Amino acid sequence: MSDLKGLARAAQIYRGRHERAKEIKAGGGKVAGYFCCYPPLELMTSLDYMPLRILGDMNEPLTEADTYLPTAMCCFYRSVLDTAMKGRFDFIDAFIGAHACDGAERVSYIWKSYLKSPCSFYLDVPHTNHAASIELFKKQLMYLGEELEKTAGKKANREMLKQAVALHNKQRSLVRRLYSLNKGDPPLMSGSEILQVLIAIMCIPAVEGNALLEEVIEEVKVRAGGPKQRKGRILVWGSLIDDIALTGLIEDCGLNIVIDDTAIGTRSFWVDVDETEDPFDGLAIRYLDKVVCPRTFRDTKQTRMEDLDNRFGYLKKMVKEWNVNGVYFNIIRNCDIHGYEIPELRDYLEGIGLPVLVIEQDYSTTALEPLRTRFQAFAENIG
Amino acid sequence: MEEKKKKKSSAKTLQTAREAGYFGKKMLAGTRQAYEEGKPVAWSMVDWWMGSTITKAMGIELCYPENYGAFCASVRKAEPNLDYAESDGVPNTICGYARNCIGYTRKLKENNFIIPEDSPSGGMPKPLFLLACGAVCDARYKWFQSLGRYMEVPVWTLEFPQTGVNEYFMGDNKKDNIKFMVQELREFIAFLENLLGKKMDWDNLSGKLDTFFKTHELAHKVDLLRKSVPSPAVCTDFWSIMIPHLYMPEDPEALDFYQRVYDEVKYKVDNKIGAIPNEKYRMLFGELPPWHTLGIFDEFAEKYGVAFAFESWNYHVPSPLPDDERYGINDPLELIARYSYHKFNEHAQVAREQCMEPTLFTAPYMKFVKDYKADGLFCHPLISCRPATYTLMHVRNLLMEKFKVPSVVVEGDIVDLRVFNEEEAHSKMEAFIETMDHYREVRKKEGFEW
Ligand code: SF4
Ligand code: SF4
Repeated sequence: MSDLKGLARAAQIYRGRHERAKEIKAGGGKVAGYFCCYPPLELMTSLDYMPLRILGDMNEPLTEADTYLPTAMCCFYRSVLDTAMKGRFDFIDAFIGAHACDGAERVSYIWKSYLKSPCSFYLDVPHTNHAASIELFKKQLMYLGEELEKTAGKKANREMLKQAVALHNKQRSLVRRLYSLNKGDPPLMSGSEILQVLIAIMCIPAVEGNALLEEVIEEVKVRAGGPKQRKGRILVWGSLIDDIALTGLIEDCGLNIVIDDTAIGTRSFWVDVDETEDPFDGLAIRYLDKVVCPRTFRDTKQTRMEDLDNRFGYLKKMVKEWNVNGVYFNIIRNCDIHGYEIPELRDYLEGIGLPVLVIEQDYSTTALEPLRTRFQAFAENIG
Repeated sequence: MEEKKKKKSSAKTLQTAREAGYFGKKMLAGTRQAYEEGKPVAWSMVDWWMGSTITKAMGIELCYPENYGAFCASVRKAEPNLDYAESDGVPNTICGYARNCIGYTRKLKENNFIIPEDSPSGGMPKPLFLLACGAVCDARYKWFQSLGRYMEVPVWTLEFPQTGVNEYFMGDNKKDNIKFMVQELREFIAFLENLLGKKMDWDNLSGKLDTFFKTHELAHKVDLLRKSVPSPAVCTDFWSIMIPHLYMPEDPEALDFYQRVYDEVKYKVDNKIGAIPNEKYRMLFGELPPWHTLGIFDEFAEKYGVAFAFESWNYHVPSPLPDDERYGINDPLELIARYSYHKFNEHAQVAREQCMEPTLFTAPYMKFVKDYKADGLFCHPLISCRPATYTLMHVRNLLMEKFKVPSVVVEGDIVDLRVFNEEEAHSKMEAFIETMDHYREVRKKEGFEW
């Protein structure tokens, strides 16, 4: 364990993402690697698996991916499989793939074909939030629980699951508090700092993550020397960002990232699990219905505007509360889920007077520099 | 230059395949006529679980933008639609069928929903609703959702559970999945009843299902006949004859047509008449074809004696539902659910034996390679259709590892002619012939049957 605290500790974990997991394993514990926002962390935690979010690596040249995946695939999931084939996740005890989107789905299968963890599970995630879908998803979660139990060597009872729900809900409320520190002007944390903290808590046990969040909040609340006041207060929407090279570049160009709707950011933490009598009910509803990613289809409403409000209205609220004056659409090239939303969401936000910058990026730090001038131009035009 | 501009369609080897274009035209003309008569019309994705048959049983005429995309590409008229979609902010990386449809719909809207005169094959009329589908790919519900920008019509997404191989065999998972599908179908029917203000006509549905299953059974028998050496039909035949079974299997004309296809193929098998004159190599094709340049397969046949013996898992009908799955099922919706689930999971056992995933797009090839005595696989990764492309490299690895069958990879697209390099395809194929010869020897030494 390290002596560092707060933001410094978060940055340290961010840099050595798998170190804590490996320490835990060396001490006899177990680690479960999972894809995207859909496998419930509570199931892993209740069985003493440390949940580890599987991410790619924007700094790593793709040398293995082409053997298994075509170039037309989402660059993020190509990177994920590339690093996995190089052995980066060989230490995990359980692999939980998920039908989050086509990319996540096919890479889950291919991963399971070549990389054999003691436990592997492919979690089907229905595309709709119909009552029948939630019921089916609940059953899938129960199968996942059973599979994890086999290798955990223990069974999770309702009490254990409820405790895990409470623990992770606490984490979510701490993350929301963290983001709320950015409502003022200037914000108290940079987008890069928030990203480091969130990745850090995705790579350590929830109890430690909560302690780290509390430290960070205490530190940041009283800090001097946070981000400078800037004209641009932006919301980042879209596919995930998991490297501060990108957030750093954006902020270097004169923009403050004050809030986001991405898969490593608020999307993973924004809503709680309801404490239902049968914890699986609360989990199924939260993870399938309440997590808002455009991968989930919501039945069309009577009018176009109602439909758009139903799908994107939460962004208007964020814009208001965080006093946002520009939106950056971060599209990882070949991410269909976000790609289809571009024209509609762009017009929806421009309709409330927000300038929008759309960039399709290649998930590689070496491809970032050419984007600088676009962020600079956007920063100049804002406000 | 002149040569380049020439349309590269295939001559097709079956007489019935040459006649199949009728069905695409019939479908589109049927929807336009219905629209003019004030009857309900909808656009549908290929939904693989008879949502379209249910819709038709409610008296709605359907057309299929995926098929329309393929048609526009085959007559090389997709580009203007692609450009028009892209100029509205749609990324040029998304599905070519989708961009074709989005561009088309944008024009339709701007023309006050009067079909623009230059629309290939007469165009698609404005729909009452859009039937999207959760099976196979994200595009097939996100694309329809995105059309809301041009048309205020409801979208219904018919969801399809998609399980992993080990998960398929877990506890009651299969039962749970089928139960879910039945629930989803009921919801869908409620949506239709609400939309049309009338009740489902169950007798009409059961009549349609009867024809549907008969058409599929014949289509499956044709697939089995194609195991013969020499190959009685090839990929370019299949991509034509599939139109009736994929889009209108419940139409009595489709059933009659398949009887004729069956008779023609059977005759060729019985008389050992090959589809191509001098079959030397048998190949599989994965997965979606370059619609704009189908003539290239005729050239491969002529130059190298390559018969594309089987292709495109996704477009084929499944084997008939085993009796024990059909027995005692009186609810037509349960029958639909079971059959559709069977389509996607019938190769789960093969996948389990081979310790690989997934069943869709991949495990079937582990069977095809033996059944059709394949010497090689032609992989066609598409720039814009990712779901049918994502597992191609995986299939390629598996075929080599488990069966010593090599693959050639030629990148291209279903619709976007701009990304297909014909010269490169030819030179790769030329080099690949030797590779196939080599692996024939390897297989012989290792005791494979072919
Ligand atoms: S599109 Fe949604 S589900 Fe897919 S990776 Fe992104 S956040 Fe996850
Ligand atoms: S499967 Fe491919 S071609 Fe078909 S809709 Fe999806 S992305 Fe487009």
